[in-house]
Amino acid sequence: MSDPQTTKSAYAKPIPVPSHESRPFWEALRQHKLTMPKCSACGHRWFPPTLLCPSCRSAEVVWEPVSGRGKVFSFVNFHRNYHKGFADERPYCVAVVALDEGPRMISNVIGIAPDEVRCDMAVEVVYEDIAETATLAKFKPVG
Amino acid sequence: MAHALRDKYAIVGTGKSQLGRVPGVSTLGLLEQAIAQALDEAGLKNSDVDGVICRGPDDMYCFHQHIARRLDINCGFSTSLDNGGASQILSISMACMAIEAGLATTVVCGYGRDSWSRTHATKEARTQTDLVPAAQRPREFGPEHGYFAAVAPHAFGARRHMHEFGTTREDFAEIACAFREHALRNPEAMMKEPLTRADYLAARYIVEPFGLFDCSILSDGAGAVVVTSAERARDLKSRPVTIKGFATFNNTKGWFEEDHMVSTAAQESGARAYKMAGVGPSDIDTGQIYDCFTYMVLTQLEDYGFARKGEGGEFVRSGALRLGGALPTNTSGGQLSEAHVEGMLQIVEGARQLQGRYDASRQVRDAEIALVSGHGGNTVCHSTLILGKA
Ligand SMILES: [Zn+2]
Repeated sequence: MSDPQTTKSAYAKPIPVPSHESRPFWEALRQHKLTMPKCSACGHRWFPPTLLCPSCRSAEVVWEPVSGRGKVFSFVNFHRNYHKGFADERPYCVAVVALDEGPRMISNVIGIAPDEVRCDMAVEVVYEDIAETATLAKFKPVG
Repeated sequence: MAHALRDKYAIVGTGKSQLGRVPGVSTLGLLEQAIAQALDEAGLKNSDVDGVICRGPDDMYCFHQHIARRLDINCGFSTSLDNGGASQILSISMACMAIEAGLATTVVCGYGRDSWSRTHATKEARTQTDLVPAAQRPREFGPEHGYFAAVAPHAFGARRHMHEFGTTREDFAEIACAFREHALRNPEAMMKEPLTRADYLAARYIVEPFGLFDCSILSDGAGAVVVTSAERARDLKSRPVTIKGFATFNNTKGWFEEDHMVSTAAQESGARAYKMAGVGPSDIDTGQIYDCFTYMVLTQLEDYGFARKGEGGEFVRSGALRLGGALPTNTSGGQLSEAHVEGMLQIVEGARQLQGRYDASRQVRDAEIALVSGHGGNTVCHSTLILGKA
């Protein structure tokens, strides 16, 4: 029965700091929705976000939910300690996940031993609320 | 028709500072040492220099101004560069362009760093293991997932290459061991102990698939070269090395995009440099390949056409990188075993091999053409330099 304040202060990992362009991404994650920018004019999808469509420069950028499914494009397992918040979880897996809709993003693969992760493994999103204001999209193997 | 700048410019002096653990000497001091050695070799006075293109630590503003001031010169062309490890070859390319445009006649190019002192020299430094200034660190899309340090993106590349082509850590081991063997022949190299395959495989992981010996070493040090016209070079006292070709190409869409992490910007940069120089991979006698991590050597060997894509592992296992092999590479020990000065020392080594100034134990026999590469700037920037014996 942890007090939310205690839980919050116990979270020792970096909390993301949204930019003007990325704020909708983080706000949607709070609602457990993974969204990606999409251009209403040309249909292009990309990530990380920009102010204008990088393909046609339209300002008609909308954030559209994606399926949350993708594949591990590549992954690494951190053994060396770079941050005290992650020290006790080593080795942990950081991956580039290629979403089925195209965009690629940095995340973690969880729910599997780091040395059992493989490139091109099918994964799906899981949401992890880390603070009052922030939720992370992580991935676990499908099935 | 031959490229108008092919063989038109030359490196007329090369210099290195003290290397390794040099506490108490600033990056500017180290670069002063390297520049003095390069100008001495050419027989030039400071006042003969009218161009400075330099790079130092990322937190130093207008680094080139500090260097020009220490030389007590005004400049027709001076600037600092911002392309990471691809900057140093770019500085030589820009020197040629500046001289061609009539902005300068004699340009000093150099890079200095104090990476060992920053991270090891004092108790305070030992807690500061990140060389990236705080203001440049990302605040989203990375740190919240525990994604830190330059080693990780390169390890992503290695992992993907292993997956697509069956490359193994044994292949990376050969790269680390070959360069260490070269370092043992180089009295200036930081690493003095032999390295075996077993040592490599027994070492701790850093960011898997990379272990300790996949990673280049933290060093204090500087390197410098002097660039002028091949015509002017004939009147100087040094043996010049001609600049046959140069190029740069940046996969600025990003390392995670397309197939960049297994087919790097070295492909396009290399194709352009070969065209300018009028040579191909089979003409290259020695490679000085940017080795921030072992895997980067392997993919570049493929990207430059020394092996087909996916066959870099087989190429290195043949012993090709060793002195006497098909492509003696990083003959000073490189950044894995000599010192990591962001590629500057590899330009110096390429030039010195073509001058034929080493004793037989570390000289590439009959070396006439060298290929030097630079890679960096968040893994997307690349540059290529092809040098020829004058
Ligand atoms: Zn568009």
